[in-house]
Amino acid sequence: METVQETIRPPVHEKVQEPVITIRHLYKSFGANKVLADFSLELKKGENVAVLGKSGSGKSVLIKCIIGLLKPDSGEINVLGQPVANLDHDELDRIRVKVGFLFQSNALYDSMTVRENLEFPMRRHWIKMTPGESSDRVMETLKNVGLAHTVDMMPVELSGGMRKRIALARTLILNPDIMLYDEPTTGLDPITGKEISKLMMEVGEKYNTSSLIISHDMNCIRATADRIVMLIDGKCYADGSYEELKRNNDPKVKQFFE
Amino acid sequence: MMAKRLINNVKLGVFVIAGLLLLILALYMIGRDSNLFGKNFELKVQFENVQGLTAGNNIRYAGIQVGTVKKVKIVSDTLIEVTMLIDEKMKAFIHQTDLVSISTDGLMGNKLLNITPGKDGSPLVKEGDILQVKKVASTEDMMETLNRTNNNIAVISDDIKRTVQRINNSEALWKILEEPTLPAYLKESMAHIREAAGKAADMANDLSAIVNDVKNGKGSLGAILTDTSIAKNLDQAVVKIRSVGDHANELAEELSAMTQGVKNDINNGKGTVNALLKDSLMAMKLQSSLTNIEQATAAFNENMEALKHNFLLRGYFRKLEKQKKKDEAAASVKK
Amino acid sequence: MALPKTWQSFLDETGDMSRFTGRFFAQGFKPRYEFSEFIHQCFIIGFKSLPLIGLTGFIMGLVLTMQLRPSLIDYGVESQLPAMVGIAIVREIGPVVTALIFAGKIGSSIGAELGSMKVTEQIDAMEVSGTNPFKYLVVTRVLAATVMLPVLVILSDAISLYGSYLGVNIRATTSFQLFFKQVFDALSFSDVWPAVIKTFFFGFAVGMVGCYKGYNSRKGTEGVGRSANSAVVVSSLLVFIIDLVVVQVTDLLGIN
Repeated sequence: METVQETIRPPVHEKVQEPVITIRHLYKSFGANKVLADFSLELKKGENVAVLGKSGSGKSVLIKCIIGLLKPDSGEINVLGQPVANLDHDELDRIRVKVGFLFQSNALYDSMTVRENLEFPMRRHWIKMTPGESSDRVMETLKNVGLAHTVDMMPVELSGGMRKRIALARTLILNPDIMLYDEPTTGLDPITGKEISKLMMEVGEKYNTSSLIISHDMNCIRATADRIVMLIDGKCYADGSYEELKRNNDPKVKQFFE
Repeated sequence: MMAKRLINNVKLGVFVIAGLLLLILALYMIGRDSNLFGKNFELKVQFENVQGLTAGNNIRYAGIQVGTVKKVKIVSDTLIEVTMLIDEKMKAFIHQTDLVSISTDGLMGNKLLNITPGKDGSPLVKEGDILQVKKVASTEDMMETLNRTNNNIAVISDDIKRTVQRINNSEALWKILEEPTLPAYLKESMAHIREAAGKAADMANDLSAIVNDVKNGKGSLGAILTDTSIAKNLDQAVVKIRSVGDHANELAEELSAMTQGVKNDINNGKGTVNALLKDSLMAMKLQSSLTNIEQATAAFNENMEALKHNFLLRGYFRKLEKQKKKDEAAASVKK
Repeated sequence: MALPKTWQSFLDETGDMSRFTGRFFAQGFKPRYEFSEFIHQCFIIGFKSLPLIGLTGFIMGLVLTMQLRPSLIDYGVESQLPAMVGIAIVREIGPVVTALIFAGKIGSSIGAELGSMKVTEQIDAMEVSGTNPFKYLVVTRVLAATVMLPVLVILSDAISLYGSYLGVNIRATTSFQLFFKQVFDALSFSDVWPAVIKTFFFGFAVGMVGCYKGYNSRKGTEGVGRSANSAVVVSSLLVFIIDLVVVQVTDLLGIN
């Protein structure tokens, strides 16, 4: 049984040595299209890192490699000390319990109610709890994203922003150590996008997660990330805080800040 | 949610069970028709030509469905063996002499086998017995016969046509037919014939009465054999036999009275049917009477022969013979 | 490759589909079993299809009877109507028409459902949530379709025969008992078994094609629509091809 981790999250500016995700020399190509070429990244505990890149630059491929949905051609991916690419199905499942993945399109199950959507990961990961406990957990998580009243609604009845929150709740319900956000604000209006960004920060504090945010929405990145990694030409092109990168004069970097 | 899921599962269960039950029911009904479930036994029959009979065709016994054809196997170029699967219960009804034929269900239906009851009293069939084939005209044979019949009818109708023409052209015949007194004569003749028959019948009746007497006489004769003092009675019996001749006269009278009675019956409207009925009864009686007489006479003769050889009665019979000779002598003298 | 492009893509897709089917057999019979999802899919695929299939079955029996009657009257064998309709429904029309309706309803809905799940990353989400989506989505649906179609065909046959009974009674009068006696007299095991067995293959084909098309749906709503559409077309075609194969096999085995 998973419990909410009570450890207090250290302040961001204190450098924590323990990396939760380590990516080294990652290569991935689809046919002749080399998406990732020698990409390396390190995410330390408690850190919020954004991966910035153009559409089709391989951001989604990167995040799917981390969670094991795609297998890299070569390179090394360590998540919580485990080499993801070499794990069998059961071992991968044990890692995935600790890694939350917020999909770009939310991926809420249309045929299920909000409650069933939230219960699904718990049920599927064999987390044993009584119906009462499970219901309490669902309500608590929904409260954390501010949508407790939607518990018995179907996903199609909800607005885009609400669906994003429900999807976030579904990833949080397992108390993950790491959160992977795949373009969390894409397709939302700027105001809702800002709300989601704020919510991401809040839950990050509350659930004590490290997060990897993939986006091309500079507002979101600016609000959520401690550090930004520029994914250009399949590799880590530049690395630094928002302010540092903004001062960078490289044209490929600069175009993101115009 | 759990409750709804449960209800859905129940619906699904009902749905699947309904489907399975229908399948089982259908298979059972088909199986019952082809005798796959009840107890069965096998019989065989051999044909020269099965006319398209195949496994699964029905078998009927006196029109009742009793089984199906299990297998049709070619034994040789002129012999085809058909194995029949028949309801166990029919073992009590099918005899070894029962006959099997192939026929068609309706005009264009499936082929089927008919088992026709054969001779009574032959033993019942056992598992694996071979039944005999009943020769039945096939449709082709029937057609051929029909053709021949048609030809014959054509010839016959020709003949009839010619005959009728000749009758029409014959004056003499028409004269006879048109003669008004002829029917009356014919009627009278018939009455006479009937009368004669009636008389004959009466006569027979009386004869039977006489024979009864004779039978009784035989009874006394039996007694004679065990009792030595009945010679006298015997004598009387013999006398009685002799008096049969006398009775004959009475008989004739009775006969005529009887005839009168029958005539009255007819006149009183009891009708010819009644008379005929009487006639047939008479005839039967007559026949049985004659048989009785024959038997009785034969027995009498035997007894007589036996008596002749009996030492006790030897004397009596000698006397009888002497007397007879004397009489004869006297008669011849008289002549 | 000298093959025309359409042939190439046809063979490519056939190969893909075969591999997909192979994956079904490789994964479908190993734990973990998605039993409750299988039951749920049986309910959706089987029970929910019953009204549609029952209605088409009823109309089919009724119409077939009314259409056959004049021909049978011409031959003077009107009394054989129940036997003829019974054999036609049980052997061929019941299974094939039901399978086609099934392909239209279930093939398209599976294709569209899995297609949209694929497009909206629900399939990926499932995998991340500790679920093998192939087992959870494909195996359960294919098995449910395989098992439910025979049940639907049997029920549809029964409803068809009832429709036929009413059809006979429009112009003539026959008792329920006599009608069914005539039908079952005409039927034998060799009429029922191949018909029931081939419906399993029909159901499998419909489920498999629907899942393949949905699972490999291309991005975008157009991809979903195309998945649903081609699932119906391909599975309907497969129903006829399987029917052809089954009739050849039963003929070879001499069960006709």
